[in-house]
Amino acid sequence: MEQSKTESMHQGIQEQINLLASMTSEFANTLDVDDTLSKALPQITDYMQAEGAAVFLLDEDTQVITCIACFGATEITGLTLEYGQGIVGKCVADNEGALVRDVQNDPHFYAAVDDQTGFTTRSILCAPLSVKDRCVGAIELVNKKKSDDLFEENDLQILKTLASSAALAVLNARLAKALVEQERVKRELELAAEIQKRFLPDRIEITGPELPIAGVNKAARGVSGDFFDYFKLPDGRIYFGLGDVSGKGINAALLMSKTASLFRCLGKTVRDPGRLLGIINTELCETAAHGMFVTMAAGIYDPRPGCEGLIRLANAGHEPVLLHVDGKFETFGADGPPLGIVPPLPGEDGAYPEVQIFPKGGSLYIYTDGLTEGYTSTGLPLESEGVRKILNACADEDLQGRLDQLVGAVFQVGNTLRDDVTVLALTDSLRPQDETNTKLMQRGDESNEEMDGEWLIDFRFPARPSWMKMARACVREACIKVGCDDALTNDVVLALDEACQNVIRHAYGGPSDEEIELNVRQRPGRLVFRLRDFAPTVAPDKIKPRDLDDVRPGGLGTHLIQEVMDDVQYLRPSHGEGNLLKLVKNIEINKG
Amino acid sequence: MNLETREENGVIIFELDGEVDLETSPLLRQALLDHVNKGTPVVVGMADVAYIDSSGIASLVEAYQTGRRSSTGFILANVSDSALRVLQLARLDKVFTITATIDDAIKDLTT
Repeated sequence: MEQSKTESMHQGIQEQINLLASMTSEFANTLDVDDTLSKALPQITDYMQAEGAAVFLLDEDTQVITCIACFGATEITGLTLEYGQGIVGKCVADNEGALVRDVQNDPHFYAAVDDQTGFTTRSILCAPLSVKDRCVGAIELVNKKKSDDLFEENDLQILKTLASSAALAVLNARLAKALVEQERVKRELELAAEIQKRFLPDRIEITGPELPIAGVNKAARGVSGDFFDYFKLPDGRIYFGLGDVSGKGINAALLMSKTASLFRCLGKTVRDPGRLLGIINTELCETAAHGMFVTMAAGIYDPRPGCEGLIRLANAGHEPVLLHVDGKFETFGADGPPLGIVPPLPGEDGAYPEVQIFPKGGSLYIYTDGLTEGYTSTGLPLESEGVRKILNACADEDLQGRLDQLVGAVFQVGNTLRDDVTVLALTDSLRPQDETNTKLMQRGDESNEEMDGEWLIDFRFPARPSWMKMARACVREACIKVGCDDALTNDVVLALDEACQNVIRHAYGGPSDEEIELNVRQRPGRLVFRLRDFAPTVAPDKIKPRDLDDVRPGGLGTHLIQEVMDDVQYLRPSHGEGNLLKLVKNIEINKG
Repeated sequence: MNLETREENGVIIFELDGEVDLETSPLLRQALLDHVNKGTPVVVGMADVAYIDSSGIASLVEAYQTGRRSSTGFILANVSDSALRVLQLARLDKVFTITATIDDAIKDLTT
């Protein structure tokens, strides 16, 4: 008798170990926990000789406990409990098992289910699904099969053991799900980064020996809040810009994409960097969210002969722009707030101030604070002194080489960047030393825009004496391009200069920030110049030529224009306010 | 544009260069008037003038007229082709006294 009792005990332990072993192995190998738990429940119920069993999982975000599977007794899948509600809720909240042998008198018993189903719960065994302090749900068994039997402490121990391995499985599955989700987000980020990279400009096609402009962008994370861009205008000038969106990650990348698109799209028609930044600012102020902003520098570089490589630069709250000429540095700091913070005053265009830079063969560098604040191999930030040191040390390298040196100082393979690093560099090398060499200025075939013959020049500039030199250079360029000789070129340049001066004096009543627009078109046998202003209409007789016998200063300009040009017409612009002067010069030449 | 002057036998000599345009001509005008108003004879050497516009020409005209009124001399010397072309277009090449060299101009003004 004694022996058979021992044997039966051994047998019990053996069965228990077998069940634990098979459950643990199943839990360990599954990622579909709901399914595994559903299949395990009948075995557990059977082994524990219970009438029914249910598994509840806690949603860690909403703190709602939901029955995800049940067996025997009543069907309660989908039943939800609040955290701490009922015996199960309390078990989860306290992360402690419960053995209730007198359910109906237990203050925590949630009688609503019995009320709805007509089932009578006599005793409950409940074990938390937990790993250490983290409880993710509970397994509940109801009623021993034999109606007079009740659960015992030993039953709770077994259930707790089973619950532990189930809890591990639940956590594993949740982790796996999170990993899958993470992987998906990562793939999307990689795609986004790929798309973003395509926003960066291609090499500018030039015939010169060296690349005039280049940029580097290294993102601290997959996507970047920085951008740079450059493109060539049909007249040969190069528009460039670099921006840094506040913050990092996806939200910064989205605002970056918007700003970069605005820059490239508007830059094709708004050919004043200051005005362009003003327009982008207005746009961002209207639509940017959550106090995000963009610091940005934008400019136009003019490599055309006679224009002395002029750079017009506007800086909206960005790091100072650095000019490096013959070992000397000059900086151009911000003249206005970052974009997206201060909307323009009503009725004003909010244009940012521009500076004019004559690079004299030097190079211009625009960079984000990711470069100056980036850590070097010494563990200290590079700082602007570090930037200057590097530029001095590698002054003989080509543009790309210098960029590589700069970025290499804060970007070591395998290390995480502190912030996005972006550098844009422009070197004043495109401009031919011999200013009569116009080969570099030959435009591609793409610029055959029809307005009135072949497009030679579209140029807008402030009505100021300081801009006359530039205007003359442009006209000279057009004349040389179509094959005018020196004498003819000089005459035409003079006439256009005089016409611009008339606009300044008579239309604008003196130097003004308002603009003059000059279009030059080539038609068969003649050059057509259109000079437009945006001032109130001026009566042509106000600018009639003076009587030449009356020798006195002034009043000469109109006479010179008529002397040089074959046709002079004062017109009204087709749209908007202003005056339009059309000048035609017949030319015999246009040598192939 | 170079506005430095030197003096030779009581004659003030300018040797202009570069571009005389709307931006630079006000400086030229003032410099010329400073001298002619004092009754000093002036020679303007123009060999290196690459460009001159109507505002530059107007400065010369004003100085010439002021000089004539005060009986001081005002001569343009060694005028570059491009500057001469503008004087011709303005039909002023016969109005100004123009000499081939600065020395010729000084001689004219001191004899």
